[in-house]
Amino acid sequence: MESKEKMDNGALVISNLNVYYSDILAVNKVSLSIPKNKVTSFIGPSGCGKSTLLRALNRMNEEIIGCRMEGEIIWKGINILDSKVDPVALRSKIGMVFQKPNPFPRSIYDNIAYGPRIHGIKNKDDLDNIVEKSLKDAAIWDEVSERLNESAMGLSGGQQQRLCIARALAIQPDIILMDEPCSALDPIATTKIEDLIDELKKDYTVVIVTHNMQQAARISDFTGLMYLGELVEFGETQQIFENPKNELTEKYIMGRFG
Amino acid sequence: MLGKVNRAYLNGDNPFRKKVDLKEGLIVRLIFIAASLAIIVSLAILYTLVDGSIEFFLSPKVSILQFFTGTKWTPSGTDPSFGILPLLSGTVLIAGGSILIATPLGVGAALYLTQFANKKISSMAKPIIELLAGIPSIVYGFFALITISPILREYFGASYFNAASAIIVMAVMILPIIVSVSDDSMRAVPRELKEGSLAMGATKWETAIKVVMPAASSGIIASILLGLARALGETMVVALAAGNVARLTLNPLSQVQTMTAYIAQVATGDIPPGLAVSAAFAVGLVLFAITYIINYLAGLVVIRIQNAGGTASNKNKKLNIKKAFNKSNTKLTSTLKNNLEVKKIQSENTLGFRHKKGKLGVVLVASCLAVAIIFLGFLMFSILEQGMSGININFLTSYPSSNPRIAGIYPVIIGSIYLIGLSMIFSLPVSVGAAVYLTEFAKDNAYTRVLRRLIQNLAGVPSIVFGLVGLIVFVRIFGFGTSVLSGSLTLSLMIMPIIIVTTEEALKGIPKSFREAARGLGATKWQTVRHHVIPYALPGTLTGTILALSRAIGETAPILFIASVFAKTAPDSIFDGFLALPVTIFFWTRHPKVEFQNLAASTIIILLIILFTLNLFAIIIRQRSQANRDW
Repeated sequence: MESKEKMDNGALVISNLNVYYSDILAVNKVSLSIPKNKVTSFIGPSGCGKSTLLRALNRMNEEIIGCRMEGEIIWKGINILDSKVDPVALRSKIGMVFQKPNPFPRSIYDNIAYGPRIHGIKNKDDLDNIVEKSLKDAAIWDEVSERLNESAMGLSGGQQQRLCIARALAIQPDIILMDEPCSALDPIATTKIEDLIDELKKDYTVVIVTHNMQQAARISDFTGLMYLGELVEFGETQQIFENPKNELTEKYIMGRFG
Repeated sequence: MLGKVNRAYLNGDNPFRKKVDLKEGLIVRLIFIAASLAIIVSLAILYTLVDGSIEFFLSPKVSILQFFTGTKWTPSGTDPSFGILPLLSGTVLIAGGSILIATPLGVGAALYLTQFANKKISSMAKPIIELLAGIPSIVYGFFALITISPILREYFGASYFNAASAIIVMAVMILPIIVSVSDDSMRAVPRELKEGSLAMGATKWETAIKVVMPAASSGIIASILLGLARALGETMVVALAAGNVARLTLNPLSQVQTMTAYIAQVATGDIPPGLAVSAAFAVGLVLFAITYIINYLAGLVVIRIQNAGGTASNKNKKLNIKKAFNKSNTKLTSTLKNNLEVKKIQSENTLGFRHKKGKLGVVLVASCLAVAIIFLGFLMFSILEQGMSGININFLTSYPSSNPRIAGIYPVIIGSIYLIGLSMIFSLPVSVGAAVYLTEFAKDNAYTRVLRRLIQNLAGVPSIVFGLVGLIVFVRIFGFGTSVLSGSLTLSLMIMPIIIVTTEEALKGIPKSFREAARGLGATKWQTVRHHVIPYALPGTLTGTILALSRAIGETAPILFIASVFAKTAPDSIFDGFLALPVTIFFWTRHPKVEFQNLAASTIIILLIILFTLNLFAIIIRQRSQANRDW
């Protein structure tokens, strides 16, 4: 497989991001920088806006009627919120894995091949290679290599989620967004995925939303705490959990609210 | 690198610029046009009715005032009189009468099915109710004239054509609407409400009457309005059984003419050309307005149901409770002051009576259902008895003739098949395109809301009005003449709203997660819809289409103006005249010779067999797709 272009992708720099759902301000003047090839996590109680913030990064929240965004998200020198930027093109570079595994009701092979196909790859050998690499990168190749033509719906929950990760990897994004990827899975499957995320950051930038503080502490390099739409604190995970600068952060870590 | 910003995109260097995909843009534009056809069809209906009405009212012999207030409707003859009141009274008498009968029967049957019947009975009753709904109105019309009317004549001294036969038959015809909508509404009553009542020691019957019915009242009212709209727009039953002489009377035993029957009378050529013909458009306009208002009211009630528990109704409830509480509070304190002993409730006293009342009540509502089932049996039996013997190979392979012994329906069957085949070709792509546009692409703006409202309205337009539209637009303006092309285009207009609604339901049934996953991978909207929505919605769409076509094949009124009475052969091209099963049934039923009436019965049996086969297809497709579904 061709090597990944070592272009200076830079980081995602978010400046003064506001996200409105009709009249409700769900994300309020958030500014932070997401570093390259690291795992960044957003934590916070339910309804704090962390998922909305995540979905702003690949403009998925535009699919919701009444959603409006202000501010800038600069990536590769471009404000991806600009109207001249086509979200469809953006999403081939910023992939997403959802909370509930959502494989297509098709074969495992077709699930992975779908992304490359719509982005122009037609040659069967090319597709075979991409499918194999993606499944290997998602640490599920051994379990499914013998049954690529069977329906993806026959896999277990944890396997389906790893399939969805493989599917996102197949389009060769630079950044992978994960919206509470383990909340619908059992502890063993969760561990497998956490190990996978640790491997993925070598080649990708990972941004993950989790309602599980301990998970954030385990797997992320940088953590941001959201509360009522605002970014309370953002920094290296070790510092956030061991030496929080903000009183609210300390309260949340101690389990005083959430 | 963190923080450094290079606004390269300002120089036009944008790696995420939108790739222009001509094919996708074209497809989205096409389905937008398909959805917007609703506007064109609505305008065509208005144009047809208004243009014809203006022509009518412009005539010196007609005065608008006399039209709306006159009590004589004699359109033919040397001194014609155009007072619409007799037609209105005929319509109100028959529609009102059938609603009066159908409402208690329908609500009672729904109550029985939802509150008292066991699973076995309700699973058997549902198909029977659907069967009643699937029988074409021409069959009901035949039954009214040939079987019910003679009974009324013999035992009640009714005239040959009478309103009562139409009323009785139409009551059973609109019964399924009332039953199914009331049934849905009663089932939606929260279980907690019923449990609260039962926990207080109320019987099932008391709970059903005092708790479930009031809670479901909005839905019941909506079902009555929908049934009424259907009854007002009904043509074939009244055209066959109620009569063709307009009389201002409320006596059900006498002959009357409804608005729809008059328009049908014009269609069948019984009226000489001239003023009386253009009068049909004025009558059609009034009919259209009335059914529009009723459907609009039904829609309002439905919206109120959907907002149930909303702030407005809650506010009123709170106010009323407060008022009642204040009123009773004063009374309460005064009695308590004098008599501190609160009367002990001795429920044992009335328990036996309440149980008996309950049992009686259940019998009552069960009999409502039984009436419908018995009626269906009576109808099927009498038609089979009359028509079974006439069915043989000769009947199916011969041509119509004035000699009943050799008359057959071969070209008629072919004509009907051509008709619905072409209707499917015209309506399926347009309707599916419109549904896909509305569900997946339309933005939430005023234009979309208008389109949705128009499609809803089109579903409620009386079928005879479509007949008028087809005559003016396809036969005359487009110049297709009385051809199978005109007929199928007219039918397409009528069934498009139905297919749009069922396709939309099928599309909405596909889980959102499929779309999200595809969009997250960078698929365009059309790619998402084409790969991950439409394929899984196909079974539902197909089922809906087949059901719409099975309705179309039994429809008489829309093609009454177009189908040929004199054609002897099946059409060779789409521009040829055609025969159709329901129209042939209509003319043979009206024939004074009983041999032709028997032929009509035989034709009805063939029509029902075709309908049954189509419905079976739809059911098989539905079962197969459910079984294969792995999501």
